[in-house]
Formats: sequence, C-alpha cells, structure tokens
Amino acid sequence: MRPDPIVLAELDELDRALAGDPSPWSELVTDVHAERPRMDPAFAARLDAMVDEARVAPRRPRWLVWSPAAGVAAALIVAVIVVTDTGQRGRTPQSGAASSAKSAAPAGGAAAEQSAPALSAPAPARARKVERTTSLALSTARNDVQDVADNVVTTTQRFGGIVDSSQTSTSDAEASATFALRIPTARLDEAVAALSKLAHVSSLSQGSTDITSSFVSVEARLRDARAERRALLKALAKATTTQEIDAIKLRLRDNRSQIALLKGEANALRRRADLARVDVTIAGNGHASSGGGTWSPGDAARDALRVLEVAAGVILVGLAAGVPLALLLGAAALAARSTRRHRREQALRV
Amino acid sequence: MALPATPHAVSSFEALYRSCGADVYAYVASLLRDRAAAEDVTALAFERALRKRRSFDRARGSERAWLFGIARNAALDELRRRSRTAALLTDPPAEAVAADDPDSDRRATVRAALAALEPRDRELIALKFHAGLANAEIAKVIGASESAAAMRLHRAVTKLREACHAS
Repeated sequence: MRPDPIVLAELDELDRALAGDPSPWSELVTDVHAERPRMDPAFAARLDAMVDEARVAPRRPRWLVWSPAAGVAAALIVAVIVVTDTGQRGRTPQSGAASSAKSAAPAGGAAAEQSAPALSAPAPARARKVERTTSLALSTARNDVQDVADNVVTTTQRFGGIVDSSQTSTSDAEASATFALRIPTARLDEAVAALSKLAHVSSLSQGSTDITSSFVSVEARLRDARAERRALLKALAKATTTQEIDAIKLRLRDNRSQIALLKGEANALRRRADLARVDVTIAGNGHASSGGGTWSPGDAARDALRVLEVAAGVILVGLAAGVPLALLLGAAALAARSTRRHRREQALRV
Repeated sequence: MALPATPHAVSSFEALYRSCGADVYAYVASLLRDRAAAEDVTALAFERALRKRRSFDRARGSERAWLFGIARNAALDELRRRSRTAALLTDPPAEAVAADDPDSDRRATVRAALAALEPRDRELIALKFHAGLANAEIAKVIGASESAAAMRLHRAVTKLREACHAS
C-alpha cells in the first residue's frame, strides 16, 4: 500500500531539511542533531584499533580450514574403492573357474561319472588311459580378440600342443574366436592356467573319461590278429595245392586289413589319452583383458569410473537422507529466526 | 553478492566503518540511552559485521542498511538482557548547556520530547536524523516494507514535533 501523498510530501520536506536545504523541518532537524550522542574519543580509538587489527590479520577463509580434512576424506574413499575393486578383479578368474568347475560336474554327465572312479582308484598308472577335456570361455574387448587369439596359439605351441581347428569372426558390434586345441595331458593344468591369464575367464569346465578298457580291448584284438597272421603264414608255408594257397592268401589279406584297422584304433586311443582336448572360445563383447593381473590404464579407467559411480551413489543416498533433514532443519531455523525476531521486537515495546 | 575475503573486502569494510561508525554509535546510544552499554554494543556490532562481512549480499540492500541491521539486533539483544535483569534504563547524561545559549530552552524541550518517545519511535528518529538513512534503508533495517516504514517514520516525527510544541 502506497502512503498518503501528504505523508510522502512531508517526508520529502524532512529529507530536504536533513540535506541542509531550507525547510519547515530545518529547526527540528538542527535541534535533534544537537542531541545526537557523540562517541567518547577513547572509545573511538579502541574501535579504530579493532578495525585496524582486522585489516592487519585477515581471517583465514573457511574453505581453507576445511579443505585438508576434505582432501584426506576424499583420498580415503578413493583408496578404499580402488583396493576393494582390485581385490575383486584379482579373484574373478579363480572364482569363475571354481564355480564353473563345480557346475561342470553335473553338466559333464557320463564323462564326469566315468572320471570319478578313474581318478580316485587308478590302476597301475601305465595301464590307465584317461582322456581329459577342457572347455574355456574367455571374454575381452572387441578390439582385443585378435591379440588374445594370437596369444592362444602361442601359448598352445609353448606347451607342445597343436591347434586342431580355429575360427574367427568379426562384425561391427562384436568379434569372437573358437579354437580346438590338443595339449599334452601332462602339461594340461599349466597350459589352462596360462590360457586363463590371457583374458577375463567367463567359464571353465573340465572333465575326464577313462578309456583304458577300450584301449585294452583293441590291443587284445590286435594281438589276436597278429597271432592269426603268424598261424596263417605257417599254414601258407605248409600248403601244397593251389586251392589251399589261394584260400590262405585271401585270409592273410583280410587279416592285414584288420591289423591296420586295429593299429589305427589303438593309435587314436593313445592320442586321446596323451593329448587333452581344449576348446577355447573368445567373446569380444566383454571387458578388456586383465593383462595377467597388472594394473593397466584400462584398469585405471575402470577404477575411475567405479569411483564416480560410488561417489554418485553416496551423493544420492546422502540426498535421500539429507533433503528431508535439511527441510526439517530449515523449517526449525525459520521458526527460531521468527521467534528471535519477535522477541527482539518485544524489547522495543517497553 | 558476498564480499570476497580479500584485502579489498577489508578495506571496503574499513571505508564503511569510517563513513558510519559514529552514526552507528549515535543510533545505538539513542536506542539504549546508556553510553557504556552503547559502546559495548557498537563494538559488538562491528565485530559481528567483520565476522559476517562475507555474507553481505548487495542485492538485499545497501551496506549501511546491512550494518545498521546488525547493530539493531545487538542493541535489541542488549535491551532484552537488561529487561530480564530488571535493570533500569539509564538516560545519557545531559550535555552541558551554556546558560547564555538562546536555543537552550528549545533544545531542552527537544531532549525531553525525545526521551518521552516510545523506543520504537525513538529508534526511527535516530535512524533518520542521526544515521541519515533513506526510507528504503530504514525499511530494511527494521524489517518492514518501504511504505510501512515511511508511515511509521512519519508518525514518529509527528509525535516528536507535537511533543515539542506541547512543551
């Protein structure tokens, strides 16, 4: 509401009088000015000294007081996150392998069932023929698939193995590679450990099959075939008629074919026992390889991202708890301020 | 905008102190009517202003209004404290008046009229006459709208004038 124009006009007159211009209020202004309380010179000097002191020793900015503590707190949070994350990454391949190995047991079906007695109650080591198989799934960044694939080949050769087959496919979105490897059974564990370090292990399953009985059966049949051959050769030496000789030669030819077939079977079984089959798949849509446990720039970037994620989470949780609290405190502060103001005004109503 | 914590801020505060230190004292002394208490409250007000100088926001009013607001709060706190302890308000000692001063009678009348005013009115007179604040600045100091402050100031001045004429 705008004041009465007469009131405004009189206040304007008062302002003119205070400014020293002639006005009906001039006399009153002069008289009130004469009653103006004046500072004692000693007090004025004390006040001057106080202000001078403030100029000489300016207060330290508040942020400067709190910044070291805030810096230490931030460093601690980052350290905890990085240490925790690094520990988890270090455990990932092992735990992944362990869980996959566990899950592979029921999935392995007959092979797993056969492997149990084979491993737990072996016959004389020489007589036992055990075929071992491993399936390893690796994941890495799409651009790293070729490098990991090259390392698979190198690692296989390093352990005296061979690449039975391989296949690599690349598209815009992802890349993948599959390998069928044969690795000497004696060095299988070492080789699998080395392959597991090439990239993140998504899954690992291992199985074994006892092929001793098949091998023994083939060897027995081979022995029989050889014995038969020897007998046929003796009979051939004693044959006198053309008809007898032709009949023995025909049986010798069949016997030779059987021996060759059985030798092939025996060799194949021996190879299955001596060289373990390792199927490796590399998926190129996962995260980058861990580089054998060293802290790479990629790891640093992931850690930084993780720090940001955790920080954002902390801020979000803080806001969830802090906003209602801040609203309550704000309302309380407003009420306290209003009360204090009211009480102060009461002091003027004497 | 808050005053930056720089030497400039300190020198700016010093300039504010130089320009209205005596006015603040005059206002506080008029309100408290006790010179010793007025000195304490004035010192306290400048100490608080120094401490809070970063919180000054020019958008919310002039530096003078901000400073007088601080002084007012300190003075009202002192008044409350004194009312709680049941201390009597003490008039400032009267200035020595020369016997041959032709205006002495009139000034005694004005002094009596000022003393007879209610504290709220005396405060407005002090802010206008002793501190020289504009009406808008007075409104900021007492926490009222500009029109309400103008109305209250006019009422106070009218009372003072009537008291002077009545004597």
